Amino acid sequence: MNEALNILTRGFVRENPVTKMLLGLCPVLAVTTSAVNGLGMGLATTFVLLGSNIVISLTAKVIPDTVRIPAFVLVIATFVTIVDLLIKAYSPELNQALGIFIPLIVVNCMILGRAEAFASRNGIWYSVIDAVGMGIGFTLALFVLSAFREVLGSGTIFNMPLVGEDASTILVFALPPGAFAGLGLIIAGLNALEKKKGGK
Amino acid sequence: MRPIITLTIVGLIAAALLATVEDLTREPIALAKAEMKRKAIEEIFPFGIDSLKNVETPKTKFYEAYDKKGVLKGIAVESATTLGYSGKIEILLGVSPEKKIFDYKVVYHLETPGLGDKIDKPKYKEQFRGRALEGTVWKVKKDGGEIDELTAATISARAVTDAVERGLKYINEQYPNSEGK
Amino acid sequence: MQELFLVIISAVFVNNVVFARFLGICPYLGVSKNLDTAIGMGFAVTFVMTVATAITYVLQKAVLIPFGIEFMQTVMFILVIASLVQLVEIVLKKVSKSLYSSLGIYLPLITTNCAILGMALIAIQEDYDLLTSVVFAFFSAMGFILAIVMFAGIRIKLEEADVPAPFKNVPIGFISAAILSLAFMGFSGLVK
Repeated sequence: MNEALNILTRGFVRENPVTKMLLGLCPVLAVTTSAVNGLGMGLATTFVLLGSNIVISLTAKVIPDTVRIPAFVLVIATFVTIVDLLIKAYSPELNQALGIFIPLIVVNCMILGRAEAFASRNGIWYSVIDAVGMGIGFTLALFVLSAFREVLGSGTIFNMPLVGEDASTILVFALPPGAFAGLGLIIAGLNALEKKKGGK
Repeated sequence: MRPIITLTIVGLIAAALLATVEDLTREPIALAKAEMKRKAIEEIFPFGIDSLKNVETPKTKFYEAYDKKGVLKGIAVESATTLGYSGKIEILLGVSPEKKIFDYKVVYHLETPGLGDKIDKPKYKEQFRGRALEGTVWKVKKDGGEIDELTAATISARAVTDAVERGLKYINEQYPNSEGK
Repeated sequence: MQELFLVIISAVFVNNVVFARFLGICPYLGVSKNLDTAIGMGFAVTFVMTVATAITYVLQKAVLIPFGIEFMQTVMFILVIASLVQLVEIVLKKVSKSLYSSLGIYLPLITTNCAILGMALIAIQEDYDLLTSVVFAFFSAMGFILAIVMFAGIRIKLEEADVPAPFKNVPIGFISAAILSLAFMGFSGLVK
């Protein structure tokens, strides 16, 4: 049980796919202009990760090594297309906001990375826990960055205004440079925290 | 041989699965698209809509909005311009049967957030209400027209003015008689 | 002709793959540690991106749309890219040993470079014709090289800079990227 807990929680902060392993950064930077988009992207990615981890942990043994990567990519692409169709059908607003970054989940290196490094070598039970843990970590990072950018850049959170309509906000955080700077600041903050903890 | 067979099997399963999901979601996707369009149209009209009639021409699309008694209450038209600061701006423009503007909604733009995107704020759009193609100089004030420009976003204001004017011209072409019939 | 020129300017500067579209960030951070690898990766990406966009364009127009199976787009495109990368690897190995040893190591990384799939998808979305798509892909790759080479230069300087401890390595890299991206924003409004 301890092992399971460890697998689950390590993706949250310690081995966070975004802030620690720097995986799947493109969507992290691109769609985090508002908290809703960040959460939507995080959940969509988690769903794909969960699906691919389950299928790959079950089938890794019967797939010959030579076609392992193409087969994994095929599995991931299938789940991505399913998510894409579902979002188009049930949340067209989110579809509009996330745009081509939904099909691009397929090349999110985090997903192929987990398939390669974890799911293909572990049973289904651990693979599910791994997917949930990493998914939460990914979603968490997206959410923190997007909330940070939305509050500073647009003066809103979940589209609810925090300041008057005429107030000036720090626009740059809503723009591309704000994505890079925001992520840099968050990682630096985490480093500082870690150091403090380690120093004591 | 085994790798090829495995890959083929994986591919076939994937294709079959996707075909099923696509089949299941085809209707909801079409519905969601229509619903989004309807919502956008409802936003630009100050009254409830009972039914919509779509009219497509090679240039653009019109949506005629009718009330319960089947009386034409307004017409929406899709218009666009490429004069935006970052290229294309698409709007949905709503006018009364007398061809006076109710409101418009920006449906696609890449203008700078916080500056150019004010073209979609009610405060800016207010000045368009009640205007018609005739009787208005469709230029921003800086260019000798009647439309307010936006501080630090004159180009966006100019572009949206152009898009509105184009929309009004489309309506005039499609509905030459002033009652819109 | 003028339209093509605008596509080029837009692809390299205004909508730079890395700074405005946020595509290909992983290799941007991963291989920009020194100039040679950055350039090597850049050329490998250029080749695959240009050819992949041409193939996926034909695939979309000749197969997916006529058969009404546009929903297979993601699956088909990524398969094209993955096989193309493999093919390039095999051909390169046979034809030029020296080129293979310098570019070979980047090839597997390219499959998961989202810029490639991204450009293929954007070219379809923007409704470009075949020629424009290919030009668009090629010059987007040039924009990628520009970004990655500039960043490699900055990183070399950064290594000798006195950076506050929590900002060392990755965070300062992001902050520098932010400033670069800010500079690239100056190009917006150039193409109308």
